[in-house]
Amino acid sequence: MGAYRHFPVLMITIPMLGAVLLPFLGYLRKRWVATATLLPLAVSAVLGLLLIGRIPADGYLSYELGSWTPHFGIEIRVDYLGLFMMLIVCGISLLALVFSMRYIEREVEGPKLTAFYVLFLLLSAAMLGFTATGDIFNLFVFMEILALSSYALVAVAGNRNAVRAAFKYLLMGAPSSIMVLLAIGFLYSVTGSLNMADLSTRIAESSYSEVLIVAYILFVIGFGVKAALFPMHMWLPDAHSIAPSPVSAMLSGLLVEVSAFAIIRVTFSVFGSGAENLIGGTVDALGIFAAAAVLFGGIMAIIQKDLKMMIAYSTISHIGYIFLGITAFTAEGLAGAMYHVLDHGLAKACLFLCAGSFIYVKGYRRIDDLKGAWRQMPWTCFAFAVASISVIGVPPTAGFISKWYLILGNIEAGNYFYVFVLLSGSILAAVYCFRVIYYMFFQPPKEGAWESRTNEASPSMLAPIWILSFGTLFFGVFSYLLIPSLLKAAAFLL
Amino acid sequence: MPGKSSFSVIPLIAILLPWISLVVILAVPKGSRRVRLWVCFLGSLATLGVVLSLLPGILDGNSYTIKLASVVEGLEMRLTVDTLGYYFGLVLSFLWMLATLYSISYIDHKENRFFAFMAMCESFLLGAAFASNMFTYFIFYELMTFGSYPLIIHEETAMARRAGYKYLVYAISAGTVLFFAIVAHYFWSGGDLSFQELGTLSLASASRGILMTIFFTYLAGFGVKAAIMPLHGWVPDAHPAAPSPASALLSGVILKAGAFGIIRVVFFVFGIDLMRQLSLFTVMAVLACITIVVASVFALTQDNLKRRLAYSSIGQVSYIILGLSMLTQDGALGGMMHLAHHAIMKGCLFLCAGVILVKTGKKKISEMRGIGYQLPITMICFSVCALAMMGTPPSVGFISKWLLGSGALEAGLPVYIVILLVSALLSAAYFLPIIYIAFFRWEGDEVEGGQKPKLVFGKEADHKLIVPVVILAVLTVVVGIWVTVPGFPYSLVTKIVNVIF
Repeated sequence: MGAYRHFPVLMITIPMLGAVLLPFLGYLRKRWVATATLLPLAVSAVLGLLLIGRIPADGYLSYELGSWTPHFGIEIRVDYLGLFMMLIVCGISLLALVFSMRYIEREVEGPKLTAFYVLFLLLSAAMLGFTATGDIFNLFVFMEILALSSYALVAVAGNRNAVRAAFKYLLMGAPSSIMVLLAIGFLYSVTGSLNMADLSTRIAESSYSEVLIVAYILFVIGFGVKAALFPMHMWLPDAHSIAPSPVSAMLSGLLVEVSAFAIIRVTFSVFGSGAENLIGGTVDALGIFAAAAVLFGGIMAIIQKDLKMMIAYSTISHIGYIFLGITAFTAEGLAGAMYHVLDHGLAKACLFLCAGSFIYVKGYRRIDDLKGAWRQMPWTCFAFAVASISVIGVPPTAGFISKWYLILGNIEAGNYFYVFVLLSGSILAAVYCFRVIYYMFFQPPKEGAWESRTNEASPSMLAPIWILSFGTLFFGVFSYLLIPSLLKAAAFLL
Repeated sequence: MPGKSSFSVIPLIAILLPWISLVVILAVPKGSRRVRLWVCFLGSLATLGVVLSLLPGILDGNSYTIKLASVVEGLEMRLTVDTLGYYFGLVLSFLWMLATLYSISYIDHKENRFFAFMAMCESFLLGAAFASNMFTYFIFYELMTFGSYPLIIHEETAMARRAGYKYLVYAISAGTVLFFAIVAHYFWSGGDLSFQELGTLSLASASRGILMTIFFTYLAGFGVKAAIMPLHGWVPDAHPAAPSPASALLSGVILKAGAFGIIRVVFFVFGIDLMRQLSLFTVMAVLACITIVVASVFALTQDNLKRRLAYSSIGQVSYIILGLSMLTQDGALGGMMHLAHHAIMKGCLFLCAGVILVKTGKKKISEMRGIGYQLPITMICFSVCALAMMGTPPSVGFISKWLLGSGALEAGLPVYIVILLVSALLSAAYFLPIIYIAFFRWEGDEVEGGQKPKLVFGKEADHKLIVPVVILAVLTVVVGIWVTVPGFPYSLVTKIVNVIF
């Protein structure tokens, strides 16, 4: 029992504490706020990195808060997949934060700047807690924190559209939170426990199957709204395209994935080991919605004229991918879903940050305006192209590996229709991504659009973009670092 | 006697060497054009040199392998230079070297982009040739597919853009189908995608229907590149739109990448026994025969020279498919040798078309009256290769046709010989008029006593254009006469055939 036992809880509390203290710093030394936000997240990231190798793929690290034994106390339980998620959260949050340091002053001014950083840190901390908790009520608490901070972040620019998008998000988000709470209430009423591990054994013995089914459906709908699963996606395109770009990157690259991860948790850790036959029907229905999401998101992305809107619809499509991996109920499918979380997180964050730097440098939001953009902003455009290729799933990017396992998992499960859907999804992705790439690289610029000498985005904005796009390549080529363990962890979870 | 397989970094060096061009272009994008492009050429020359250095070992039956990366146990990116891979690698690096030399004087705008993507494509295609398993092959194949897009649209005319769009539509659909085939193959072969043993799939591991599905998805996926009808739609648009060296490479090796994939699938993934058991070869043969005849008929009606050549390529690549589908030694020999033979002939023909375009600006065959007097060397080379395409001895075309015919008899299906003869007749019908127009007609010859032009040699002084053309035309004859010289296609392909049968 080394000190590393405490790392998971520190990873959550340090950013949380930072978020509490940040307003005071903002009051005293405003200029330091941005840097001070980086610090707790960086500490969390380092702690997470130190945990690598300490958690076996078929085991977990349990921490009892206040030494209260579960199921009385709150348990923090980090398994391999949990750590994987936490590291993704830390990494992408840090990069989005670095990007914001320069970018955000354009969209948010004055006193709200501190608020932005506080909310940002709070969102990251909540996501870390959300993935690590082993207690289902705690899951709800963290979900509320992350939901509230994300509503506020969407609205942070303060203009009319932003407020409207945030309100739309709130209108959908609040009932979904209630549903999760209701589901937790149902579970508690029939099992008398809130600890996930404990719940899974009690559910297996429980005779209240109708209540359990309803609870599971409520969970799926509740988290499904946060994950923007079709047809509960309506909030996403507005919120993602109107929010400041680093926030879009956080929402699209992390928040929806973390919510999908919550469904993985509920499906496999809570219901999976004893009640597969209970939730079977719901999982099948989930598969149908996921397939619809892949196609709907892809088609909608093709007809968009606004770049961020296109990326947002692409997210809806890719959430469908992740869910198709979950519903296959095979180790390969689940590993593919988890790898897709990583790949999609990197690629989407990169795309949104690229969109952000086009907005920052030129104020261009429309895809048409990007014709010939690479002459003036080659670095951003190349990163955009690499990330898009990963979104399509062209080898050797990480998107290719995740698609490989998603399809393999679905072949194994015998879901040939979903295999077809996944393949069509990547064709749709090719259509909407290549259109942008074609405009950027092979079209002459529009009259006057890129004529004046434009500077490339500043290094502090380019660095996160390049790290993210390089990451999609790195995890494509060096997938052996993760895939064997993910397969093992997925098999352990099943 | 099977040779030994050993670890070697040479395959990796071979696929990294073309990137010299890229480094140079990125380092001095605005430096002296001469130096920059000649260094690019040296990159491709060095690649050819490295590939050639493996020849003695390959002829001894050795193979060289290096692991690049892996996903899980068994699913890895690995390069293995076996005889078949080496054969394709040699053909492509040779043709690529000549095309790069040719491009130095042919490409007159945006040469940085063109040379960079040329070099990238060479690297990717070499990777595909040296791929040790289907996973690696697919990765390099897809990269090459996207890498060749900028070559096709290089001219940036409306026609080139449309051709590029069509190419992408076909390529992406094909890639998707192929992707499914490979994942299904991976699943039903129990995770074995390797090319190192023959026939990794069997009726023991999967049902008949599944094996058929895998085969047909493979055939459809690779068939788009190999231009099997009705999947050939992009070829006749892409070839005239692309600059001539790129068309030469498209026809000479990129179409062959599809055929090469089919060779791998037929002999290494399914194996001859399974092909016989499933009677898959008949479907292949029927498709190939239809393509050979129909493409030749289409070629007859084209007035655009490069478009006619493109249709001819569609037909010729199906010779390879036909040879494979015979499932006999001579058939396979002829089919696989045609891979190199056609690359030499068609490479030369497209480069000739390029010379005509540069020197006279003419694209249409009907405008080319008397062009043989303006560009005698080019048109002589063109005629040599055109005659070889018809199967006139002594030339490479004759050798492939002979072997294919003998393979057809071995398979007991003389109907293939009829197809081959019809195709030879049709190619005579679309190639001879070009030669006739070039040498026996001239401007003003309708009138009695019109002035016959004199032979002009000065116009072709540009050596960078003419040297590749002449080398290829000479090879057409030389390889056709001294067939068994070590290093020529026969020496390599017999080794492959001995392993397979």
